[in-house]
Amino acid sequence: MNIASALIREARFVSYDRVFLGWLLVVFLFAAAAIGSGLAETQHQNETIQHLVEADQRDRASEYSKQGDWGSAAYYSFHFTYDPPSDFAYAAMGQRDAVPWKHRLRMLALEGQIYEHDAGNPELALIGRFDFAFFVSFVVPLVLIFLLHDTQASERVAGRFDLLVATTGTDGFLWWTRVFLRSGGIIVATILPLIFAGSLNDTSFSTLISAIGYVIVYLVFWTIVCIWFSSWRRSAPVILSALIGVWVLLGTIVPAGGRVFIDRIVPVPSGSEILLTQREAVNDAWDLPVETTMTAFFERHAEWKGYTKTGDGFDWAWFYAFQQVGDQETERLSVAYSKGRRERDRLAGLLSLASPPALLERSLQRLAQTDSAASLVYETEVRQFHLALRKFYYPRLFREEPFNVETFTKLPQFSPAS
Amino acid sequence: MGNSEKLRADQLQIIRSGKEVLSGISFCVDSGEVYALLGGNGAGKSTTLLSFLGFLPPSGGSIYIKGVEVRSNIKAARRAIAYLPESASLYEHLDAYENLRYFLQLAEMPFDKHRIEATLDRVLLASDSRTQRLQNYSKGMRQKVAIALAILRDTEILLLDEPTSGLDPSAIDEFHNLVRDLADSGKTVLMVTHDVYGACQVADRLGLLRAGKLVGEFTAPAGQRIETEAVHRAFSSRHAK
Ligand SMILES: Nc1ncnc2c1ncn2[C@@H]1O[C@H](COP(=O)(O)OP(=O)(O)OP(=O)(O)O)[C@@H](O)[C@H]1O
Ligand SMILES: [Mg+2]
Repeated sequence: MNIASALIREARFVSYDRVFLGWLLVVFLFAAAAIGSGLAETQHQNETIQHLVEADQRDRASEYSKQGDWGSAAYYSFHFTYDPPSDFAYAAMGQRDAVPWKHRLRMLALEGQIYEHDAGNPELALIGRFDFAFFVSFVVPLVLIFLLHDTQASERVAGRFDLLVATTGTDGFLWWTRVFLRSGGIIVATILPLIFAGSLNDTSFSTLISAIGYVIVYLVFWTIVCIWFSSWRRSAPVILSALIGVWVLLGTIVPAGGRVFIDRIVPVPSGSEILLTQREAVNDAWDLPVETTMTAFFERHAEWKGYTKTGDGFDWAWFYAFQQVGDQETERLSVAYSKGRRERDRLAGLLSLASPPALLERSLQRLAQTDSAASLVYETEVRQFHLALRKFYYPRLFREEPFNVETFTKLPQFSPAS
Repeated sequence: MGNSEKLRADQLQIIRSGKEVLSGISFCVDSGEVYALLGGNGAGKSTTLLSFLGFLPPSGGSIYIKGVEVRSNIKAARRAIAYLPESASLYEHLDAYENLRYFLQLAEMPFDKHRIEATLDRVLLASDSRTQRLQNYSKGMRQKVAIALAILRDTEILLLDEPTSGLDPSAIDEFHNLVRDLADSGKTVLMVTHDVYGACQVADRLGLLRAGKLVGEFTAPAGQRIETEAVHRAFSSRHAK
């Protein structure tokens, strides 16, 4: 059979199908809306970052000019760290909705600052954002199911099935052309807004091509599932129910059940637990003997061992020492937290092999650098930057160098890796 | 027999959903012949046509199209046949031309506007309704489009399942003339009907099917039609039994 003429014939036939054309438009508009909302969100985040970056230097400079010693300069100044959205984040917001992508750090104990906003956006964390990744992973398959399930059943009901097959002479080819034209239309309506947004936003070519490839493979997978079920000699409602059952199983039961299971077998301390432990450790330090704190501090910083607190009043070096000891005391929890998150993410990755919708969502989030791995990279950057701050201040505090505003030109600057 | 034989069922046995629907029927139709298959509801008439199209594999016996076992080359068998299904419904949202164009393309045939107009004239479909969607058609009008499609396919063999259902008397008469013309031009027609009188008018041979068995065959004497009375008697007596 001549494939080209069959495609032309079916394309012409499909063009008379108003219901299908309506769905095509709906899918296009929803894809565009999902991408539009992602673009608005990333633009908002970029503006916030730009605004805070501009304020960062200025605020610190004005703070330093008011201070006369290293300790108060460190105490009153903020350092802006951030994880800018990637050139594809608009399509898959992923972890950016759940974990912070910016921190204004101080020289105080770090752990509390990192986990302060751990709760993120609870509503979004619960239902997920209506972004492009969500739309393609969960909504578009439903549209395909709805459009394709009765490809054959509707012809049987109308009494046309035998005539159609007898006229073409072959069984399968007609249905494959019909189904692939429809699903091809839906795929194009889905990725058109993506291509448009991608070229407007200078999304890297390889990212865009990969994303489009993933989406096509994924929707072809659903198309084949639909073809398979639609050739079943059952009534349309039966086929529809079965396909929706598959969707519910792959799209919700497997990922949600899997998440519950993973959360149970990989316990992770909560962010607020870390926050509280660290705050308590720091608060208690005020009442502890200075030696207790300093001994704990010198275990990590033997180089300042010679330092002794002068006078019985307040001492900045001791203050920052007990801030660090606060971090040291939560270290075990914090390491467990990162390890646990990594392990959960690894298992979720394995699990997603059994859930194509979850797999696509994860793949798009990886491309968008909005996955768990990316958020852990940012966390590591924050830790390294905070460590650099301590390396800058500790010699000046412990050697009691004379205060000099000029020295702040040597202050470490945060710059995001991505 | 000979190479003019187009359709042949040989001890054909068909089982559908565990029930024996055809129990070893045998008949053949030559080219230029009209064979009418008569029988009550559920006798197995439609089943016979479907098995010639290769939809129902025989559990016993065999079926041949142009001397070739159907299941050995289903596509070739179907290509040689124009099929008019029992409840012929074309696409409701398309008009007569669009429907014919679609189904002809499906059969990889060209869309010849003149032939189509001539055929629609022949089946007496009013010309002002041809550009209307089939959803605005009466049952008989739809049947006319479906008949036109079968004729336009221009195949050697026509399998027609209750072709006159829904047609008005003048359309039925015209249809019978049409079928005769087709046969006279060398086509082979196997048609299923409940209309004893019509069948006798048009058929060269007539088979009486009852509960999956061919219980009688009538052949028109040379230059004459089959005698309606005899068929009627056979039909009703078999039913009365
Ligand atoms: N799709 C089917 N599945 C199973 N059995 C069927 C199916 N269609 C028909 N049958 C059975 O096959 C038998 C013959 O049916 P068929 O449709 O061939 O009858 P028919 O002679 O065409 O009757 P009618 O005059 O009502 O059209 C019937 O007894 C019916 O129960
Ligand atoms: Mg029938």
